[in-house]
Amino acid sequence: MTALIIIAVIVVIIVLMYNSLVAKKNQVDNIFAGIDAVLKKRYNLIPNLVSSVQQYMQHERGILEKVTELRSQAMKPGISDEQKIALDKQITSALGSIMVAVENYPDLKANENVMHLQRSLSEIEAQIAAARRAYNQAVTDYNNAIEMIPTNILANMMHYTRKQVFEITEDERKNVDVGALFKQ
Amino acid sequence: MKSASELTDYYYTELYDSLQELEQERHAVRKKVLTLFGILGALSLLIIAFIYNSCHCFNESFIWIGVGATAIGGFGYRMLVSGYRSGFKEKIIRPLIEAIEKELHYAPDAFIPQSLFQFSRLFDKRVDRFRGNDLVRGQIDGISLQFSDIHAEHRSRDSKGRTHWSTIFQGLFIVADFNKHFKGRTLILPDLAENLFGSYIGGMLQSRNFTKDQLVKMDDPAFEKAFVVYGTDQIEARYILTHTMMQRLLKLKQDTKSKIYVSFNGEKIMIAVDYDKDLFEPTVFASLLSIEQAMGYIRTLRSSIGIVEELKLNEKLWSKV
Repeated sequence: MTALIIIAVIVVIIVLMYNSLVAKKNQVDNIFAGIDAVLKKRYNLIPNLVSSVQQYMQHERGILEKVTELRSQAMKPGISDEQKIALDKQITSALGSIMVAVENYPDLKANENVMHLQRSLSEIEAQIAAARRAYNQAVTDYNNAIEMIPTNILANMMHYTRKQVFEITEDERKNVDVGALFKQ
Repeated sequence: MKSASELTDYYYTELYDSLQELEQERHAVRKKVLTLFGILGALSLLIIAFIYNSCHCFNESFIWIGVGATAIGGFGYRMLVSGYRSGFKEKIIRPLIEAIEKELHYAPDAFIPQSLFQFSRLFDKRVDRFRGNDLVRGQIDGISLQFSDIHAEHRSRDSKGRTHWSTIFQGLFIVADFNKHFKGRTLILPDLAENLFGSYIGGMLQSRNFTKDQLVKMDDPAFEKAFVVYGTDQIEARYILTHTMMQRLLKLKQDTKSKIYVSFNGEKIMIAVDYDKDLFEPTVFASLLSIEQAMGYIRTLRSSIGIVEELKLNEKLWSKV
């Protein structure tokens, strides 16, 4: 009887551990789908942005071509999550450079269409930042579970491997403080 | 918005005549209140002495005499201070609110509707009695804002069938527009479990709740220590709670020195500040001219109205995508 109770308890613990690992893995996948959705929103905005600014930005032609090229790579079907993460980093930095360059063209800065695009891009960047933070938390929980005793034993048997987090630069951690900018 | 020191100057200079008038009234009211309490106390003692003399025993009636005297005292107190109280609100609180922001309207006897309080989903218990006062509403920098004192209570019965009232929330309830677009619900509550049981067991207890939405772990240790976040959407909760917003909410908690509950629901931000007392009520036993009293009123009013500025709710940086 005692042996039976011990076996039953062990089975329950294994089932709970298994379910918790699967839930953590699904949470990572689920949130990655959220990131994918906002990244696509940003990709849709890129052609508009490029066509609005290219006639003014002769010196920045290289960066405009690069962002278009990166977009077409990111839109290819079947690329891995790791590739998406790497491309996102490059697109973020390329778009950042375009936005900094816009500051040098007063006509462009005052253009209604560009202003709207800039605001839309800020909104999407805020959504991407939120999705990245949610993803990183889910990945951390998942990585902890597959490395910590005793769940690591089961995770090994299930062939679960570590997942990569999005790296967020210090600058991106801070929101733009418009008030402070005007005061400068 | 005027600074606290400008408002203190305004309180003592512009409102001086009203303060003098009210201070005289306060002395008269205080005298009446003390007389009433004295008579009630003496009468109660006389009745108790009379009963004790006749039976030489202590019985339940003594308790009832105490209860009766307290009830009559409470009722009498409210009657005696009611004129002074409304004078104080009209002559001091209203001008102070207008001095802070002209676009705000003040209704001393109105309060935030119960439906809005319940819509926040901040408190799980059933609300059986809902009261409030001092409603302030209007626009600040194009953001609609309203707040009032609220007292929400829950009724329960013990095994003997006696009714008990317990406070669910008493304090300031603030509702304002939020400039980000979101569909779900995010709640920020004081972190009791982690403070009581530590981060590991507390965190486990929080994640295994059946009455709330998903637990959202935030990536700011100081914020995570002070608050627990529940939300319908992990990404949306972080979209609302940026690092800057978390710091602003932490500062708000430090400034008010009270428990703070925040709800983001229906494109509104709703904040409950648990002061555990009725604010903006006039004092009868301390002078209106004392700096502590004046600063108390000014600080609370300014921080409630300043929420829009403090949390930068008036900044509209984005276009809806």
